[in-house]
Amino acid sequence: MSLTAARRGSAGPALTIAALTITEALRRRLVLAFAAITVAVVGLSGWGFYLLSHRSGITSGEATLVLPTSYILFMFMFSFVVALSASAIASPAVSGEIDSGVLHAIATRPVRSAEILLGKWLGLAAVLAAYTAVVSGLEFAVVGWSSGYLAPDPVPAAAFLFAEGAALLTLVLLLSTRLPTLAAGVIGVALFGIAWLAGVVGTLGRAFHITALDSAGQVMAYLLPTNGLWQAAVYYLEPHSYVIRQLASQIGRGDPLFTPTAPSAGYLAWAGVWFVLVLGAGVISFGRREL
Amino acid sequence: MSPTRSADQQAALGPAAPTGSARAAAGAGTPGTGRASPAVHTIELRKCYRGTVALDGLSMTVPRGEVFGFLGPNGAGKTTAVKLLLGLVRPTGGEAMVLGAPAGDLAARRRIGYLPELFRYQSWLTAREVLVLHCRLMRLARARWPAEVEAALCTVGLASRGDDRVGTFSKGMQQRLGLGVALLGEPALVVLDEPTSALDPVGRHDVRMIIRGLRDRGATVFLNTHLLAEAENVCDRVTVIDRGRSVATGTMAELVGGQASVRLRIAGLAGRWWQPLERFGRWSGDRDWLLVEGIAAGQVPDLVAAVARLGGRIEAVVPQRPSLEDRFLQLLGEQ
Repeated sequence: MSLTAARRGSAGPALTIAALTITEALRRRLVLAFAAITVAVVGLSGWGFYLLSHRSGITSGEATLVLPTSYILFMFMFSFVVALSASAIASPAVSGEIDSGVLHAIATRPVRSAEILLGKWLGLAAVLAAYTAVVSGLEFAVVGWSSGYLAPDPVPAAAFLFAEGAALLTLVLLLSTRLPTLAAGVIGVALFGIAWLAGVVGTLGRAFHITALDSAGQVMAYLLPTNGLWQAAVYYLEPHSYVIRQLASQIGRGDPLFTPTAPSAGYLAWAGVWFVLVLGAGVISFGRREL
Repeated sequence: MSPTRSADQQAALGPAAPTGSARAAAGAGTPGTGRASPAVHTIELRKCYRGTVALDGLSMTVPRGEVFGFLGPNGAGKTTAVKLLLGLVRPTGGEAMVLGAPAGDLAARRRIGYLPELFRYQSWLTAREVLVLHCRLMRLARARWPAEVEAALCTVGLASRGDDRVGTFSKGMQQRLGLGVALLGEPALVVLDEPTSALDPVGRHDVRMIIRGLRDRGATVFLNTHLLAEAENVCDRVTVIDRGRSVATGTMAELVGGQASVRLRIAGLAGRWWQPLERFGRWSGDRDWLLVEGIAAGQVPDLVAAVARLGGRIEAVVPQRPSLEDRFLQLLGEQ
């Protein structure tokens, strides 16, 4: 086999599995369900923003605080939806298919276990990316149309929102190579919640100069970067005037939905390494698993 | 006769002696070049699950082009052995070579078709899409896909349901689809794990015809079953395993033929006239019917001739061969 053919051969099965995973999401009406919920929620938020900006009687000065806060709050809720969705689609991806027997017919084909796992990750991540992009874009457009408020950097914010969900997806996929579907999903969501709580604790520690709390938040942000990536998304949703107002008060600095600085290059690099390590652990774990 | 067949025939008399490695016996493990290598060759293959022995030193050889029955009671280790051969689980000890390559080898897998015991396919795909998926995973040339898919659908009797979702299929239809998946790409070895467990009598007949078709094409069929009638109908040779070990291997005739008996209805002779003929076997019975047990295969005509020489009028001769089931139960009883 030539090198080119070998390369093509190694990429092929992973892409086939990825396409299969995407088809499953479409055929099982998962995407349709997400779309229906999204349209309803985004529609409601557009109505809410319209009332806030046109009927609430707030001043333009108050609007510079209320509208960004409301927008970030909506995206915060959406980040949970993304995370729960990531966990829900990743938890049965391996263990569920082993239990049902679907994987046996595929695993006896000339396909490496790494190709199966990477293919599943690619497919699930593509579904999550599409969902995040559509919801972020819709929310940006609907809020802008209904209230005139345009979040400052919606594209990097959506990218970090996706990265947050993809981090949980990667972790749950790793868990799914060893644990039953329910256990993988529940543990993944629990760890996501712990990471978020640790982020809140860390923010309060920094605002009120309590080093121990700050450190706890920092450590957790490195162990599981979901909250760190969410904070990065928040940063890109904050207008300059909003940042100045928040920094002006200690309460504002301690607001868990406020991020004063952009994510550091070092932290982003670590997040990249984290993805590689956890996905690599998943590949090794699945490769060692007997079917 | 090839050296491989000689080695195999030696192995047919019982579990092969663990001399040399499976790799050496299987033709140095060069997929694609090992034409003379056995389809399957194992030496002292062993698998334990957390202290429980599932397979306890299985040695066997399956020559190419043979329909090989792998028989045993529930829990004997049949499915574990199949999973070891396909590389789904790793052996605790011993060696297994499949199509001249170590079990689980990716290149060899391209030439293996497999119907799992737990046959489940993507319920949200159509039957045709499932087959195309496997064509893709097998890396068959795209130009071959339509013909392969249509041939598989026709062979397993699903031609009219190709565009229906698998989720709408009955269990039997899903098993037929699994069989179709196993037939894609003209595999050199087809491993069928309980292939008729969900099929009605018509489906079982169809499976027998498919297996015979595979043999005619020169493919090896490894039939894992506990349905003895199924094995008796189609297999050239069988191995019986119990508690993870091979307890007998051979052709049907070798397994059951040595235990033949014959019933005779003789007139014109009186007393214990058969005493000079006790060399043929154990005699018993009454005035109407006599039973000669343990007669060697091929000795019945000689026995009839001897009775005639004694002056007996032979009214009926009913050779009786014990069924595979009788032999199977006897073997398990011996264990």
